Amino acid sequence: MSQIALTAYRCKHCGHLHYPYHDRCLQCKARQFEEIHPQGNARLLTYTAIFNLPYGFDQRSLLLGIAEFENHIKALGQIKAESVERLKIGMRLKAVWEPIRPQKDGDIFGLKFEPLEE
Amino acid sequence: MRDVAIIGAGMIPFGKHYEDSLLDMLASASLKALDDACLGNQTVDALYVANVGGGILQHQTAIASSLADRISLLPAAAETIENGPASGASAVKAGLLAIASGYYETVLVVGGEKMRAGDGAHTTDFASTMTHPQAEYPYGVTMPGLAGMFARLYMQKYGLTTEHLQAVSIKNHEMGALNPYAHFRKPINRHEIFDGPQAALNNPLVADPLRLYDLCPASDGAAALILSSVEVARRMGRPFVVIAGFGQATDTQTLAERADPTDLRAVTLAAQQAFAMAKLKPSDVHVAELHDAFTILEIAASECVGFFPRGEGGAAVLSGKTRLGGPIPINVSGGLKARGHPMGATGVAQIVEIVWQLRHELPPERQVQNAQIGLTLNFGGFANNVLCFLLQRAEP
Repeated sequence: MSQIALTAYRCKHCGHLHYPYHDRCLQCKARQFEEIHPQGNARLLTYTAIFNLPYGFDQRSLLLGIAEFENHIKALGQIKAESVERLKIGMRLKAVWEPIRPQKDGDIFGLKFEPLEE
Repeated sequence: MRDVAIIGAGMIPFGKHYEDSLLDMLASASLKALDDACLGNQTVDALYVANVGGGILQHQTAIASSLADRISLLPAAAETIENGPASGASAVKAGLLAIASGYYETVLVVGGEKMRAGDGAHTTDFASTMTHPQAEYPYGVTMPGLAGMFARLYMQKYGLTTEHLQAVSIKNHEMGALNPYAHFRKPINRHEIFDGPQAALNNPLVADPLRLYDLCPASDGAAALILSSVEVARRMGRPFVVIAGFGQATDTQTLAERADPTDLRAVTLAAQQAFAMAKLKPSDVHVAELHDAFTILEIAASECVGFFPRGEGGAAVLSGKTRLGGPIPINVSGGLKARGHPMGATGVAQIVEIVWQLRHELPPERQVQNAQIGLTLNFGGFANNVLCFLLQRAEP
């Protein structure tokens, strides 16, 4: 798997898993966290294709989904697929770290999911 | 804490106000509310102005100060309140607490937004700035995008279909057609929008599975209220409205981090707080304005507020339970779907509608008969900051 530069945070007191970062645990209010990273493939929890894109995107549509990694980190990412017809809740996805948003001073990188053949 | 009354209500039609500035709209709605409260030549102790995009879309800040000056409310205290699409309800809350504490006697609450000035991509980007700045926004997710993902989960979990979503849209457009203040004043032609050969063109996908007619429009508009102590209200010698209950709750900013993303926990908590304060229950409510920025949200919110068991909100819409004349009419104004959604104005406009309903002032075709208790629900972000009000008719 390509290096996914996404960091999640496990509370050292109660074990609650967070992504994105919070200064205090959402469950027990503790402030000490262990940094962890996505492991393995992901499972698609829900998805959409949007056709009215915000300023800054020069494309007709964008596929987006929320997926859960094998170590239970859940995150939103873009999906690399031709259309939503290819997608199904529960399907396995491979995660890659690629440009997600063009910017004048360099693209922003983030999470992208590729459907895996079942 | 003392009881708080609403003694004045006014709004301007929502829609496209190309000729009017943000301040023009805020001023017009404010003057209508002042006149309705018979305060035409008087001032108020304070004004709370709800607005989200003035700084971004109009390059104008400190709007409350401008409005106090513009409509001669000086030297009243003035604040602008920004809480995303819940800014309107948050401004009402500020007024409620100010009067309830005894600090002020009479306040103006006004919300307004001018959203039609820019192009669609910039307006979409503006609305997207309320998503998480690292975990959501950079990916290009929009509010309809979050709603699309939410709808897909909801449909799978509860067996909801596009027919249920369409029923919300049809109902709210029917009601909007009767409301002279609505952005859309035309009933939906089912053949043109849902069933006919041109339906896919007239009602394109925006955020799969949601289509254009599942979404509220971006609107221009403003709405205003005058709040006072009950003692002031009684002196007016006519029926008025009391704020019987209020609740507010927050939830995780990202949809991904909710244990059950289909559970609008902040809605449930805000409504429970409001019902507890008012010593009322969901079956006591005669009319409700729910935050239907997307058709799916009216259904989900109707369940989380307590009108229907989880998973039964869709069937309730289809069977007519939420229509005018049904047991719990929802969004008789047309809702965000048809009345429109000028962000900062929406939470105030919801309460303006309920005030008119409880004062029994509306024409018969859109008046809930003998309405005594109303509920409003206003979201900030994707249900991560929710305010609920319970309003009750009072005799002088």
